[in-house]
Amino acid sequence: MVLLESEQFLTELTRLFQKCQMSGSVFITLKKYDGQTRSIPKKGSVEGFEPADNKCLWRAMDGKRKISTVVSSTEVSKFQMAYSNLLGADMDGLKKRDKKNKSKKAKTPQ
Amino acid sequence: MPQYQTWEEFSRAAEKLYLADPMRARVVLKYRHVNGNLCIKVTDDLVCLVYRTDQAQDVKKIEKFHSQLMRLMVAKESRNVTMETD
Repeated sequence: MVLLESEQFLTELTRLFQKCQMSGSVFITLKKYDGQTRSIPKKGSVEGFEPADNKCLWRAMDGKRKISTVVSSTEVSKFQMAYSNLLGADMDGLKKRDKKNKSKKAKTPQ
Repeated sequence: MPQYQTWEEFSRAAEKLYLADPMRARVVLKYRHVNGNLCIKVTDDLVCLVYRTDQAQDVKKIEKFHSQLMRLMVAKESRNVTMETD
């Protein structure tokens, strides 16, 4: 599992999407993270560890390669914008629904 | 393992599941370009909520959902965190 900086993670994520265009799946996981970097022993807890409250962990995988990044409250806005663009650009293989009339968009009645 | 047919129901149930135990819940997204479909799952290892789609319009909803949950995760617990629509 490769731990990357947020920006690098997003670049690599785009690469994963491109690689999986012909075959394969892209998995993305999001989870709240408390900053724990060491395993917790069965008895007791890790000494001197303060659980952080402002981080989340992003992981991505294509079945072979795994990447991850930690996003904290300071980077959230930047990450969110970049991530939103990324999804819009890379997840473009889905069906466009243009049969039903949607109230949000103004469609010309047939 | 409930599979939801509507996005509305899924996102409400998923957010509730996350808020019940933020440290335990996780969001998993699987995208297959070959088949042109998407599957989003929210689980706390006991309950598993799933929503599948092949519609482009759901990408935006899912992205918004991710962002919303991310903001909940990085917000400090000291103040009341409520669902905000930007």
